[in-house]
Amino acid sequence: MISFDGVRKTYRIDGVRKVVLEDLTMSLPAGRNIAILGHNGAGKSTLMRLIAGAELPDEGRIHRSARVSWPLGFSGGFGGDMTGIENARFVARMYGEDSERIIAFVEEFSELGPSMRVPIRTYSSGMKARLAFGISMAIDFDYYLIDEVTAVGDTRFKKKCEEVFSSKLKHAKVLMTSHSTGAIRKMCESGCVLHQGKMRYFDDIEKAIELHDDNQTHAP
Amino acid sequence: MPPMDMTKQDSLLRTQIRVIGALVLRETRVTFGKAKMGYLWAIMEPIFGTAFLTLIFSIVTRHPPIGTSFTLFFATGILTFQFYSKLADSLMAVFQANRGLMAYPLVKEVDVVIARFLLIAATYTTIIIVFFGGLIALQIADYPAHLDTVLLAILAVALLGLGAGLTNAVVMMLWPTWKQLHTVLTRPLFFISGVFFIPSNFPPDIRYILSWNPILHCIELFRAGYYPMYNPQTLDVSYLFFYIAILLLIAFGSERLYRKHQK
Repeated sequence: MISFDGVRKTYRIDGVRKVVLEDLTMSLPAGRNIAILGHNGAGKSTLMRLIAGAELPDEGRIHRSARVSWPLGFSGGFGGDMTGIENARFVARMYGEDSERIIAFVEEFSELGPSMRVPIRTYSSGMKARLAFGISMAIDFDYYLIDEVTAVGDTRFKKKCEEVFSSKLKHAKVLMTSHSTGAIRKMCESGCVLHQGKMRYFDDIEKAIELHDDNQTHAP
Repeated sequence: MPPMDMTKQDSLLRTQIRVIGALVLRETRVTFGKAKMGYLWAIMEPIFGTAFLTLIFSIVTRHPPIGTSFTLFFATGILTFQFYSKLADSLMAVFQANRGLMAYPLVKEVDVVIARFLLIAATYTTIIIVFFGGLIALQIADYPAHLDTVLLAILAVALLGLGAGLTNAVVMMLWPTWKQLHTVLTRPLFFISGVFFIPSNFPPDIRYILSWNPILHCIELFRAGYYPMYNPQTLDVSYLFFYIAILLLIAFGSERLYRKHQK
């Protein structure tokens, strides 16, 4: 379960204060796939980063009594001078997993071949994304964070990603943002709407989409 | 293997220890490079540097203020000083260097600080053991007279470096110019910390001014432990540890206070 306790998050850009969350206290119920809806700039990505712990709230606390992933496909935590194997090993150690098992999985999944043994800085962005996705899939999380579904690789590889991910989803849930209502309907049964610093949770995703559409049409 | 249960069993402390362990190994790899020689070189480089400086100073100055070996006298000063300055400098950049790691939900700011601190402290402790071991093997120096006091001095200088380094990191986060200013401001430290003198060489009023410098106390404590008959008058162990406690309080307190600036 992920719960917010008096969370406030603001940004100051060129002296203008922007409120992402205004004193939010709520719990996201466990065991549900939840979409986060909001117009561009409402702060969906910031909210994701808050949940991942990559950003801190100005006030309040976020409690995570579950293993939450970093945003899927994120490769910013990789050490550029370290090889693919070394980066995978670091994550495995951090999560107390068997390094060799994780490395074997990532090698097999990412199809990077001998590139696993060269420093990450020589990788293309596609190779990095494949490595990052592979590592996320090698570890059992309770929640996977997805900030916009980004396709990795060619059609065949995409299909493989979907297959592995859906097998993961038998034991795990997703928290995702997307601009595609199609993708949201496919993956989530519940939703949150983030609008002008307030967030509302709906058990039924259709209600969330409805409110989101309504907010969009009445946008100032 | 249901993941929920694992999370519950995993105590927070155990997770943090595991994350710090992973970070130390990662930091070792990033700092010293892939080659096995990397770590060896990291240890040998300051040893050669110190040996070279010691050689030069031994030629220039024949009579050390205490003992008979200038090499031993200088080594006790410079290794202690370098231990401190390495921590104070390296920890300053710790947040910048590890910003990407913050995206991992498990990594906390303090973890990256502790990991870097542990690696540097372990490296310098190894350097000290190798260097003095070498001096003893070459019969330039005897075994330390009071090993417990020497260890206390190493602990003090490590904690002092941690406090200074983390304070530097927080100040630099708020005010990036601090990096350059710090280099300029701390340059004289090498000359006023007792690396090549002992405070009793000076008249009381100068000694009083020098006695505010905590690094001087670290070096004096190290020497008081190493030499059998050295009983420094200026050394004030309670001042030193009081200073360290306050500095650590400021360092970790301000880190907590200004944490959101860096994330």
